[in-house]
Amino acid sequence: MVPSEELQEHTRIKTGDVGRYVLLPGDPGRVEKMAAYLDNAHFVAYNREIKTYTGTLLGEKVSIVSTGMGCPSAAITVEELIKVGCDTFIRVGTSGAMQPGIKTGDVAVVTAAIRDEGTTLHYLPPEFPAVADVDVVTALAEGARSLGITSHLGISQSKDSFYGEVEPERMPVASRLQERWAAWCAGGAICSEMEAAVILILASIHRKRAGGVMLLYAVPGVTPMTEEEKRQEQSAARIENAIEVAIEGVKVLIQRDRAQG
Amino acid sequence: MSDTKAKILESNELMHHLQCKRGDVGRYVLLPGDPGRCEKVAELFDSPKFIAYNRELKTYTGTLLGEKVSVVSTGMGCPSTAIAVEELNMIGADTFIRIGTSGGMQPYQRPGDLAILTGAIRDEGTTLHYMPIEFPAVADTEVVCALRDAAKKLGQRYQLGVSQTKDSFYGQHEPERMPVAKRLEERWKAWCEGGAICSEMEAASIFVLSSIFRKRAGGIMLVCANQETDDPNDNTPTDDVTDMLAVAVEAIKILIQQDRANGKI
Repeated sequence: MVPSEELQEHTRIKTGDVGRYVLLPGDPGRVEKMAAYLDNAHFVAYNREIKTYTGTLLGEKVSIVSTGMGCPSAAITVEELIKVGCDTFIRVGTSGAMQPGIKTGDVAVVTAAIRDEGTTLHYLPPEFPAVADVDVVTALAEGARSLGITSHLGISQSKDSFYGEVEPERMPVASRLQERWAAWCAGGAICSEMEAAVILILASIHRKRAGGVMLLYAVPGVTPMTEEEKRQEQSAARIENAIEVAIEGVKVLIQRDRAQG
Repeated sequence: MSDTKAKILESNELMHHLQCKRGDVGRYVLLPGDPGRCEKVAELFDSPKFIAYNRELKTYTGTLLGEKVSVVSTGMGCPSTAIAVEELNMIGADTFIRIGTSGGMQPYQRPGDLAILTGAIRDEGTTLHYMPIEFPAVADTEVVCALRDAAKKLGQRYQLGVSQTKDSFYGQHEPERMPVAKRLEERWKAWCEGGAICSEMEAASIFVLSSIFRKRAGGIMLVCANQETDDPNDNTPTDDVTDMLAVAVEAIKILIQQDRANGKI
């Protein structure tokens, strides 16, 4: 696809405004915090839930763009970023851990996503796997290792309904939600969030690279803990862990991309 | 661990279909579809010996770098493959590499290329008996990287990507004669546009079962021919699996060395 010179309808950006490398938080309120990790960061645009900052890492242009919550707005964001020339996408966010033994403050490096959402069905039948790019996965794992942050490689559940996950019992389809949640856990899913599947599927279709790193927090239902432990867990929940791993991961990718010309 | 599984491990029982028991196979297993290909693979092991041959499941075990390694044929399709992987898991196998032949799906792929699988399209019925359709059939990153490193080391042309795991061979090769022709053709086009690099019949079940069992799996396929090629003059079919098998064996050696370095053996 030849990068479009036009101002994009929702992101309000055009070619040149953003780097090849893009970090994708859900929350527009988190963009400034992440931009502080870039050199020479500057504000580019803010329309609806999509806020964009661009700066550099190792002299290479890198952007932070919020997707909003859920796959519909994330799809619009990624579509427009691809139109203006981005080719490497890393989702950054927070999520509850779905396997016992994970500690709050660990990070999940997403290798694939459960397509438990409606948006990607507008692109590909559900049998098609939402898979992360292996180079992005290994770069994030390497980033975590160099920072001394424990990372878990695995599958994320990308869901459309936040409250369907945290309060399934009050939903008319409660038994279906609960049975499927048990299946995802049995299948080895490590975290639950709301955007990865669409980022991975769009990247596959457009032949771009994508991955994700999520801050994990231990969930009482999965890992039994006392009230005191819960308080301690909360203070360990540093979103900085996921941001720092993402920043290190992008640096690893920039160095590898340069080495390979 | 379920009671059934515990009982099997305790009693050292012969597996129902595989006709193997604990100790007969290594942790590392190569999975061709064709039982007729097992001997060719076993020749690449040190001290290979025949273990069992029941139905379409044929097993040989030997060693690589002194570590026990097996080759087990799955038969064609996910139903028999699921049985083979279930029983291999019960007797202690933990690293599965599917090897086989396939058709290319991207215009730049040439006969003789190697397709290293990162995931699989669940275009089959078996894995729905395990997980809802939204769950991805994804390969293990360590296995993918080992296969890639091996292909690089041996100077092979390869691609990384997703395979289409289908239940119907003739539905892919002769879709026009099927009552559901239009659906088959539309979905094939979607898989190609999504970036799928090869079409075969077993990978999805190996990946989904490995996720559930917390084991490692991957796959490497010889691209025999490519119906989507952009160069019809360079599309002479090949079924010479020699190089593909050499890469698979090299990848197992890489994994054994990594596992030793990480204290996993």
